[in-house]
Parts: sequence; structure tokens; C-alpha cells
Amino acid sequence: MDYPNLAESVKPATYIVAGRRVFAIARNAFREAVRDRVLYNLVVFVLLLIAGAIFLGEISAGQEAKIIVDLGLSAILLFGVFIAIFVGVGLVYKEIERRTLYAILSKPIGRGEFLLGKYLGLCLTLLVNVAIMGLGLSLALIYVQRGWDPLVVRIWPVIFLIYIELAILTGVAMLFSAFSSPALSALLAFFVFVIGHFSADLKTLATSMGTAPSRWVFAGLYYLLPNFANYNAITAAAHGQVADGRAMLAGAGYGLAYIGVLLAATTLIFSRRNLK
Amino acid sequence: MKRNFFLVLVIVVGLPAAALLTHWNEQHSRDPQVQFADEQLYLNGPAMKRITLAFNGVAADWYWIRSLQYVGRKMVAYEDTHTGNLDLNSLSYLDLRVLPSLLRMTTTLDPQFLEPYYYGALILPTLNPDEAISLLNQGIAANPREWRLYQHLGYIYWQRGDYNKASDVYAAGAKIPGVPPWMMAMSARMKAEGGASQSAREMYTHLAESSEDPTVKQMVKTQLMRLDSLAEREKIRRVLLDYTHGRGHCVTSWREISAPLFAAGLRIDASGEPLDPTNVPYHLIKNGCDVDLDEHSALPRQ
Repeated sequence: MDYPNLAESVKPATYIVAGRRVFAIARNAFREAVRDRVLYNLVVFVLLLIAGAIFLGEISAGQEAKIIVDLGLSAILLFGVFIAIFVGVGLVYKEIERRTLYAILSKPIGRGEFLLGKYLGLCLTLLVNVAIMGLGLSLALIYVQRGWDPLVVRIWPVIFLIYIELAILTGVAMLFSAFSSPALSALLAFFVFVIGHFSADLKTLATSMGTAPSRWVFAGLYYLLPNFANYNAITAAAHGQVADGRAMLAGAGYGLAYIGVLLAATTLIFSRRNLK
Repeated sequence: MKRNFFLVLVIVVGLPAAALLTHWNEQHSRDPQVQFADEQLYLNGPAMKRITLAFNGVAADWYWIRSLQYVGRKMVAYEDTHTGNLDLNSLSYLDLRVLPSLLRMTTTLDPQFLEPYYYGALILPTLNPDEAISLLNQGIAANPREWRLYQHLGYIYWQRGDYNKASDVYAAGAKIPGVPPWMMAMSARMKAEGGASQSAREMYTHLAESSEDPTVKQMVKTQLMRLDSLAEREKIRRVLLDYTHGRGHCVTSWREISAPLFAAGLRIDASGEPLDPTNVPYHLIKNGCDVDLDEHSALPRQ
């Protein structure tokens, strides 16, 4: 193997040093994303969208709060998906294209560390974006309800779930970008996002198919693809229903496990990629 | 410099030109919103719910606003072409044929969104009572703890004269913890009285108490006056009948029976004519043998 992967490069004695390297890459990835005007525009756009929801609420026959929560959380998810996919697929590609990757990898940095740092950098960017959007939504709710409303607090567990979903999707985008072009990676990641919300149908198909092989195929797809239905709590949140604590923990655990798998697979593929 | 001037000129001229063309286009083409206003929805609720992925809540809001605007546009169009105001009792003139589908779509996308059920319970009974019942049953299946849905469903059954079903629905709603005690009382009264005016009065009163909508409160006020008027006309008919039995002919003017009418508890004006709850005198019909509302009365006839 030409390049050491994360597991090989990080020996017990060098955990802290490796962590610093990952942190440095993450910090740079975050800075780069923050410098990207598209991210700023998206945040401003979402805030404007939430402001628009205030006016939209006036024609909803007393349903302002519900509509603002629906619209705000949906916007957070939608724009987060765009950021996760379009920035995620370009994370590694841009470094190769600008040939800065060679300079980075010529230093004592493993490919796994590089990928992990890039991933964490984008996750940090998403965290900041989601937090700002959530804050904007909370303020919009306070404005509409002319004061404090329990919904202001109740939306945050859902925002957390949305963030986990976005973190998984970022991992998916990175996985595809490890072996494919950015355009194709974006398309594939978007398909995974769509299919991930059809997981209930995949399970139904798996049980309703006539032949055993087709049942196995669909059952395999159901468990293989990310189950984004775990994070679908926007509609319930708009009715003031707080996401169940155990479901949130399970969702976070599932997210961590799935992200781990995605990053490991990305590292494996990227380690074998010929960059010459 | 010259190029910049040209570009600025393009912007300055281009934007107003685009606005003018949009305005011209609006004036000379059919409004697509009007054109397709009554077109049935292409997709059914379950299909739409799948397509909208995690965005079913915001899609439900969209269809909800569309439902409100659909009814609103129809009302404005009706009032533009007819004299007098439109009230909830005459919504059947509006031809709201797409409304059931819009409400069904909204509630399928977000089954816990209660307002569309309440809205449907108010408007659909005059257009399509079966659709109203079906929508409320769907709402109860998705929200079995919402007693107001049972209240609305019971009301619709009562309006249809199906007192047993109304009683059953009220009884089912009364089992929900924390429900007002009158739900069970309504069930019992429906069973016992078969929709007598006292029950009607109670239902209207409770409906007004449970709604914040001024249109509903106005409707309840009108319906309560209508119930008063029905009771008054019944009293007048008895007085007219007594007079006819005694004299062998019907009355020629209200003055002839003003004393017994007053004794029966009716309000009489200076000329001896009995007044309806809107203070308009009742009208003698059938050559003085029967009574009806005056044409100037604001009370609904049915």
C-alpha cells in the first residue's frame, strides 16, 4: 500500500498528534466553507424565507406558528441537504483539482486523517448553519406568537435530528466523491437522500415480494441504505410534539454507526485511489 | 466607461420593459389560477405524501392555504356578481367542487393538522355531507383524543336527522378523558329527544363557545334566532287555529288576534303586529290562515 490509512498512521502514542492534524484540516475546511459565498447566501436566504413565512402566516387562518415551524424546519433540512451534497462532493475533488492535496499528503498526514478532517470541517460548517437557521426560526416564532411559546424549545430536538441526517448525507456525498466525479456524486447522493426517505416502502417491498431472492434484495437495500425516516419529525414538531428521548438517542446512535461505516468505506476507497 | 453606460442603460430600460410586458400579458391572457381553479388534483394524498419526502408538513400547509384561497376567491366572485352578503348557510351556490379533495389532500399529508377537519365540518355539510362525515371519521382515526372532532361529527349527524348516530358519536367523544361533561349530556338528549329544539339550542351554544371564529359565532346567533322564530311561529299558528275554529274564517289583520298573541308571549309592535327576533313583523299568508317570515327579515327560511 502506498499511503497509510487512518488506522495505520495513528498509533496509540500519537493519538494526540493525529488529533491535532485532523483538527487543523477540519479548521481549514471550515474556514474555506465560511469563505464560500454560497454558504452565506444560503443562510441569508433561509432567514429571508422565515421572514416570508411570517407574512404567509397571515393568510393561514390562525395557523401562523405551525406554518412557520413547518416552513422553517423544512428549509433547514432542504438547504442543509444542498450544502451537504454540493460542498461534500467538492471537499476532496477541489483539493485534487487545485493540486493542494499533493502538498498536504506530502506531509505526515494520512489519507484517512485528511478525509476525517475534511468531514469534520463540513460538519462544523453545517452545525453553524443549522444553529443560525434554528435561531432565526426561534426568533420568528417569538415574533409571531408575540412572546414566548413552548414551540421555541420544542423545535430544537428536531433540529438536532436534522443535523444528524445532514451529517450522514455529508458522509454519503464524500463516499461517492471518493471514486466519482462531483456531478455524478451529487446526483447519487441526492438519490440516496430520496431513497432514504422511502425506507418504509423498501421494507414493505421486502415483505411483499413473491420470491426469496427479491425479498433478500429489498431487505438488503432497506438495511444497507441510510434510514432517514428515523429523522423525520418536522410535521410532529409543528404540532408541538417533542421528539421522544429514546428515539433521539437511537437516531444519534444509528447516525454515529452509519457515519463510521461511511468514513471507513471512503477511507478504504480513497486509500486505493491513484492520485498520480 | 462606454460599455458600463450601455449595461446600466440595458438594466434601466430592461426592467421597466419587463414589468410592462408582464402587465400587458396579465391584461391579455386568461388568469391560469381562474382557469384551473376547478380542476381536480392530479395526485392522490398517499402518492403526494411519498413524493414530498420529509416535507409533507409544509406541503400540507400549502394545500391548506390553497383551500382557504379557493373558498375565498369563490366568495369574492359570488359577491361581485350577486347582491347581498354570502353566509355559511348558502355556500352551496359557490360550486366548491374541489374543496373536498383539497381538504383530503391536506389531512392526508398531515393527519394531525386539525384545522382542515374543523373547516371541512363547517363548510362541507352544505355541499357534500357524506364527504364531511368521511373527512371527520378520518380525523378521528388519526386523532382519537380530539373530542372536538366528535362534536363536529355529532353535529353533522344531528343536522341530517340521524339522531342515533349523533348520540353514538357524542357518547364516543364523551369517553375521552378531560372532555366537557355536556358531551355525554348531548348524547343522552339526542337519544331521548330526537333532535328537539332545546337540543339544537344547546348544540349551537356549545358550538359558539368552542369556536373563536367570528363567522361561526354569527352563524350560531342567526340559528338561535331562527329557532326562536320557529317556536314563535308555532305559537302564532295555534292562535290562528283557535281564531279560525271560533269564527269560521281566518284573520284579516293582526289586530284581531294581538291580545292572544301577546298573552302567548309574543312581542307586539304599536300596530299590533307580532315581531320576529330581528324586529321585523311576521307576515300573514294563505289569506290569514298561516304565518311566515317577512321578505325583509334577515332570518334564514330553512
